[in-house]
Amino acid sequence: MTEAECPRLLSGCRTKYDTVRGNWVLLAPERAIKLDEIGAAILAETDGERSLGGILDALVAKYNAPREQIAGDVVKFLTSLRDRRMLEVT
Amino acid sequence: MAWTAPTIEEVTCGMEINMYF
Repeated sequence: MTEAECPRLLSGCRTKYDTVRGNWVLLAPERAIKLDEIGAAILAETDGERSLGGILDALVAKYNAPREQIAGDVVKFLTSLRDRRMLEVT
Repeated sequence: MAWTAPTIEEVTCGMEINMYF
């Protein structure tokens, strides 16, 4: 996954805040994944329009961590969602 | 909030999944 590529959730996949349990979940047809706050923050920036580079820019501005560290974690996270057929990269 | 590596926890219990839908 390169910084020029644009990740987006597949249709039918959406994030939702579970008010009962107080955490974010990623819902797909008949599937659910619990997210932590960082995962939810990544997906909040993943709007289908922004490139991976743009997503990283936004997260680097928000969190006090080296871009290299954030990039590694974000790519690993998004790749795991792609492997689960919840996300595509164009 | 400090940056930490994001975690993913797949919900495997069918009843729990149904609670979200």
